[in-house]
Amino acid sequence: MKQTQLGGNHKVEDACEMYARAANMFKMAKNWSAAGNAFCQAARLHMQLQNKLDSATSFVDAGNAYKKADPQEAINCLNQAIDIYTDMGRFTIAAKHHITIAEVYESELVDIEKAIAHYEQAADYYKGEESNSSANKCLLKVGHYSAQLEQYQKAIEIYEQVAMNTMDNPLLKYNAKEYFFKASLCHFIVDELNAKLAIEKYEEMFPAFSDSRELKLLKKLLEAHEEQNSEAFTEAVKDFDSVSRLDQWLTTMLLRIKKTIQGDAGDLK
Amino acid sequence: MSSDFEAYEQDFGTLTAEVTNKIGRIPKLSGEEKTQLVLNVDKQLEEVRELLEQMDLEVREIPIQSRAMYNSRLKSYKQEVEKLEKDFKRSRIAYSDEVRNELLGDDASSSENQLIKLREERAHLLDNTEKLERSSRRLEAGYQIAVETEQVGQEILTNLHGDREKIQRARERLRETDANLGKSSRILTGMLRRIIQNRILVFALGAIILLTIILAIYFNVRGH
Repeated sequence: MKQTQLGGNHKVEDACEMYARAANMFKMAKNWSAAGNAFCQAARLHMQLQNKLDSATSFVDAGNAYKKADPQEAINCLNQAIDIYTDMGRFTIAAKHHITIAEVYESELVDIEKAIAHYEQAADYYKGEESNSSANKCLLKVGHYSAQLEQYQKAIEIYEQVAMNTMDNPLLKYNAKEYFFKASLCHFIVDELNAKLAIEKYEEMFPAFSDSRELKLLKKLLEAHEEQNSEAFTEAVKDFDSVSRLDQWLTTMLLRIKKTIQGDAGDLK
Repeated sequence: MSSDFEAYEQDFGTLTAEVTNKIGRIPKLSGEEKTQLVLNVDKQLEEVRELLEQMDLEVREIPIQSRAMYNSRLKSYKQEVEKLEKDFKRSRIAYSDEVRNELLGDDASSSENQLIKLREERAHLLDNTEKLERSSRRLEAGYQIAVETEQVGQEILTNLHGDREKIQRARERLRETDANLGKSSRILTGMLRRIIQNRILVFALGAIILLTIILAIYFNVRGH
């Protein structure tokens, strides 16, 4: 790496450029951590020059390079970049990077709570910028993981909110029934009576919901739950599965509901 | 006289034999042949009856002592003729043994035929059931594909919606940039104008100073 002499912006600018080129060379050699390091240095020098935009871009590059080597370092760089962007008022792009960080937490560091936090932050920023569909996308992820972590109330709110937003939009209304379904499932886990009331409310609000197979499945599940009949439950679930495969989230939720049935009938069995 | 009677007896014998023969053959035939044969037999029966009448007359002419024997013979002949007539009648409407055999023969071996038919029917029904099952499986598969298509469609629509928003935002930003560029262009024009003004001023001032210096020198030289 070239040595730099501090003194004169001209030199600092040269140094930045040198760092950037070095980092690109490292990337070509697939030496990701060294590349990330070089990008970070470049970013700091840009900050000195008050080139906020350039600095933020360098931090993002550093984050991308570190993603492949050291996730924690990547998150640090990205956080710094987000700070700069929010300072400048560029919330959209800050939100996008929040999503990237959340994805890293999802996949590599497996820290679901932090991931949820970042997704929420991203959703808020998107809402602020009136990008509703991106906001919905993040909110859905938040709901997804909250339900997995058993924060059902939050998940219910989120799913209801998203469903009501998408209900009216002609492009998105085919998704609405899925969201209502998920919200009802979360209600179900909490309390069966809630689920019944909720389903009625949704049917009223959104008539197309009543035709869907999901609703039929819900009604069958409610019946099975009332009768504490876990066989009928399994039967209904298998039926639904044969037509359209249940994904991992749904299977987890349904399993939890089934456990509540068996838990209640535990002694009788 | 008795020789006449014997001659009649012989005739009677041959005729009845023929008639019996023909009666036996009638049921086996049908249509044209049958009607012909029937007419034949009819005629022969007429002849037989005439013979009987003549035999009757003969017997009456025979002296009483030997009449009894001939009488009894006559009676038996009459009975025979009656029987023949009955047979004849029956044969015209009855099916022959052969035809009966054909019918019954089928029934006898028809239990086998029935088994074969039952087995065929069973295979046919099984085929049908299998076809139905195949169709219902295909319908299910079709339904699954339809549901999957719907899900794919949902995703695509969501993506489209997202892209729509991005494009709208990009357009807004472009309009802003355009406005900003316009503003900067105006500022630059202003700057340019000011620069030109300044330069004109500088030249003007320079010119005046030069003039003043020249005048000063001129007056100095003059004043010398």
